[in-house]
Amino acid sequence: MTENILIAMIVIPLIAGLLSLLLPKKGCGVFALLAAAVNFILAVSIFNKELNLTFPWAGFGMAFSLRLYQFSGFIMLAAAFFGLLISLYSLSFLKDKDYRRQFYAYLLISLSFVNGAVLANNLVVLLFFWEGLLVTLFGLIVIGGKQSFRTATKALVIVGLSDLCMMAGIALTGYLAGTLVISDIHLGLGSLGGLAFILMAIGAVSKAGAIPFHTWIPDAAVDAPLPFMALFPATLEKLLGIYLLARITLDMFKLDAGSPLSIVLMILGAITILIAVMMALVQKDYKKLLSYHAISQVGYMILGIGTCLPAGIAGGIFHMLNHAMYKCGLFLTGGAVEKSTGTTNLENLGGLRAKMPVTFICFFITAASISGVPPFNGFFSKELVYDAAMQRGWIFYLAAILGSFFTAASFLKLGHAAYFGKSRKENKDAKEVSVFMLIPMITLAAVCVIFGVFNYLPINNFIKPILGARAEGHNFTGSSVNMTLGIITVLVLLGAIIHHLMAAKIMGGGIKAAEHIHHAPVLSVVYRWAEKKYLDPYEVGVKFVKIISKLLWRIDRGIDWIYESLTPSAALFVSRTIRRMHTGYYAVYIAWSLVGALLIMLFIFR
Amino acid sequence: MEKQLILFLIVMLPVAGAFFLPVVGRFSEAVRNRLAFLLVAASFVLSLTLLPSVLNNQVITISQNLPLGFNFILTADALAVFMAMVSSFISAIIIVYSFTYISHYENRGEYYLMVVLFLGAMMGLVFSGSLILLYVFWEITGITSWRLIGFFREKQHVLRADKAFLMTVFGALLMLIGFIRLYVETGSFDLQVIKEAVKIHPLSGLTVALIMAGILSKSATLPLHTWLPDAGVAPSPVTALLHAAVLVKIGVYVFARLFVVTMPLDIPWMNVIAIIAAASALVSAGAALIDTDLKRIIAYSTISQIGFIFLGFTVSNEIGVAGSLLYILMHGLAKAGLFLCAGIIEQNTKTKDITKLGGLMYTMPVTALSFLFCSFSVMGIPPFGGFFAKYMVIAGTLQAGHLAIAFVFLFGAVLTILYLFRVFNMVFMGDVGSSSAKEGSPSMVFCVALFAVLSLLGGILISYPNNMIAIVIKQMITGSIPT
Repeated sequence: MTENILIAMIVIPLIAGLLSLLLPKKGCGVFALLAAAVNFILAVSIFNKELNLTFPWAGFGMAFSLRLYQFSGFIMLAAAFFGLLISLYSLSFLKDKDYRRQFYAYLLISLSFVNGAVLANNLVVLLFFWEGLLVTLFGLIVIGGKQSFRTATKALVIVGLSDLCMMAGIALTGYLAGTLVISDIHLGLGSLGGLAFILMAIGAVSKAGAIPFHTWIPDAAVDAPLPFMALFPATLEKLLGIYLLARITLDMFKLDAGSPLSIVLMILGAITILIAVMMALVQKDYKKLLSYHAISQVGYMILGIGTCLPAGIAGGIFHMLNHAMYKCGLFLTGGAVEKSTGTTNLENLGGLRAKMPVTFICFFITAASISGVPPFNGFFSKELVYDAAMQRGWIFYLAAILGSFFTAASFLKLGHAAYFGKSRKENKDAKEVSVFMLIPMITLAAVCVIFGVFNYLPINNFIKPILGARAEGHNFTGSSVNMTLGIITVLVLLGAIIHHLMAAKIMGGGIKAAEHIHHAPVLSVVYRWAEKKYLDPYEVGVKFVKIISKLLWRIDRGIDWIYESLTPSAALFVSRTIRRMHTGYYAVYIAWSLVGALLIMLFIFR
Repeated sequence: MEKQLILFLIVMLPVAGAFFLPVVGRFSEAVRNRLAFLLVAASFVLSLTLLPSVLNNQVITISQNLPLGFNFILTADALAVFMAMVSSFISAIIIVYSFTYISHYENRGEYYLMVVLFLGAMMGLVFSGSLILLYVFWEITGITSWRLIGFFREKQHVLRADKAFLMTVFGALLMLIGFIRLYVETGSFDLQVIKEAVKIHPLSGLTVALIMAGILSKSATLPLHTWLPDAGVAPSPVTALLHAAVLVKIGVYVFARLFVVTMPLDIPWMNVIAIIAAASALVSAGAALIDTDLKRIIAYSTISQIGFIFLGFTVSNEIGVAGSLLYILMHGLAKAGLFLCAGIIEQNTKTKDITKLGGLMYTMPVTALSFLFCSFSVMGIPPFGGFFAKYMVIAGTLQAGHLAIAFVFLFGAVLTILYLFRVFNMVFMGDVGSSSAKEGSPSMVFCVALFAVLSLLGGILISYPNNMIAIVIKQMITGSIPT
């Protein structure tokens, strides 16, 4: 009986999602909130339990197999928590939107698929739900507006491509391991095993939004409804991506610190941190700036897990949780500003601190968390990652701490431009948003503080059990922070503040505090290319595919020419030649007959 | 005895009944339409009644020797019944769609005659236990499709129909030479006899190549594929029937019947065919990204997906072959849906040029959603049925160790996503082009929505088709697939 609760975790949100499509527009928000609450209560009730369930499904080794244990329970709990907060937030945010029925339906179906993917104990079941999220992803972006289908398609193509890689990885893994049951797979990283790992890792890191699979996220920040940003790129996708990355590195494959793949992951993490944060720094839109940070922060998680050191893995997973908290909170403050002023363009914002004090405090806490200011939660997870990165090589640490500097700089710029300075006439009517929107923001900000000050709570309850035997003899809580690195962090943050204040003074205004970097020699060229999308792998890839397909089209037309032109003209040529032989002269025909007879004689009497 | 009668009726009801349709149509159009549907539905229902016994490993055979070494053999095993059910089911829905689609064109009597005869010939081909019978039915499908492609009688259309006919008959004649060589080598047209004979004397390469020419031309695979996009001038239910459900599947079915079940090919041959399939999948996917005619794009997509089906059959392992069988089902459902959507669009906007279309999402919501669902299934995105088919084919390929080919097909799958979304975006999204367009007739919209829902259910209720396929595979494997 208790096993059936696993089915309920998948079926209840799914059916609720389908139902909310049928409900009247007024009631569907409340209904979705209730469904999300039920989902959350279920997730709480089975947290820390161990359950297994298997029944036959698609045959050929593809059994419908679910497994609840520490890690999956934790991810599911987190996803349900954010799902609940965002459906509460949307109640007010989407009040007058025509598409809200669809939004809630996709939200609930997504929660169902996330539960399914996390619970899956069979690789194909995992892939089924994982890839199924493409449909809701597409739907959630496309409802944003008449032009947002372009971004939706872009997202679907990028994520679809990486999901296909993951499909190949899963097929290969299943073949090498001889089973598709996840808990039975323990593979080495031989030549094929390494390939399988890379393919699976592509699926994982691209779901999390790492470079080069990230470029749809900033576009979606503009086109998609805001709660989508808080739900997908900020939380659910991070939870899933990092969950899978941790699963494949921790138990499905035995990745250890000596492996070259570990270095590949760390390099990917470091590059993701730096490139995305540099892009974030020069953004002039609230949501777009946040979206680049949603990419940049993934770098810390991948870097942490890629180190293959207990501190790094714990830091990476803890950072995933923290990131979901503060990034979700940040997006929600962005939504509050959008709702209240009608814009997220920083050039039209300013002085909101007085008009929206609660939003400002929530922004302040979450921004401090993402910048890694002690004692907020981001500080502790980042310190764990720094520590592990330092052990693997100073260059990785340098990338990480440099990323922190620019993160702090860009949030100082954002906060300065939006909440300080002079109030603009565009937003003179701005006032605090409704309580439904404030509650989720306050909750998230409060959790950021709690998980920071009392960081032993999440670390000992959530993170440590996931690492299992690897965590033995290690202490990841705040007291273990490497003092030297901690002091460097604080100094770097102070440096960022001083840098911001000076730059703002010289350039004139908070929003211009990063202009000197934007227009620095060399960098300015790179930025210009990036803004023209020359550096967008998707755009480049689509151009490449266009060229390839033109070539293939030529081949196709070439083959068709054989049938369309060559064959008829050959037939005409032959028949014309034969016709010319029919001259009408008896003598010629007799000559032909004689030649024919001669040939027959030769054939018979040879 | 009774089972044999059923088997006989499955084939003969539509084949013989088809000729009564124009006569009945003289008296009442409505009766004729219903009769056409009933004939096809009867084939489906009767196939369904055979299901329990073939799943119990029974093989039903009708065998009659004729003079001069010819013979009339119908054999119903699990593979044949599966194929018959898939084709007759899809055809039955397409006939319902035809009721309104074809109602305002000339020559309706001929239309129903040809469609039902086509389906009957397909049934005969599926159950054929003898090569010569198979060839006869093969040519009947060729002749009926020739009439159907040129149905609107315009000069260009007739030329296209001739092209399709000539290309497929060219392949078929080569195949006939292959069959005769096989007769010379083994002494029989009977597949059972041939199966035993080739165990002792392996096939000669030329015979295989000749038969393959026929298969490739019928299944529109590179380099004999270009007739299929041109055949898009046919009425839409016909293109759905030809491209999706039945005609192009004939080739892959015969491939499975001859070269997987009866006389398994050697690994080198299988590899060559896999490479041909890969080239075919890529070239046509590329062409689908460039072409601007809605039906041609979907036709190119069919060629591309046929490549996946061939691939699964060539890998000689359980999951790959099973994937291909599932692919036949799922692709049939989804692609029939896409073509029927194209039919609604073509009829209501009077154009097939996607650059002139746009914004139909707002005027034809049900068609748009059905198109999207069917596209998701063709792309292989869960929870739609195409996902499992694609996964199983790729898994089979990787199991056989064809890493490079698997990646070519993955690239093909990415192209599939790109070209289907290109079509979807240009036709349904963006600015409203032709504003007068409205939703199709209720029965037509019902049919496309049904295909969309079935594509979705096919994925969610995957255990039903896959359980059946598992049994089909077991039967195919006992004594057939080399391990």
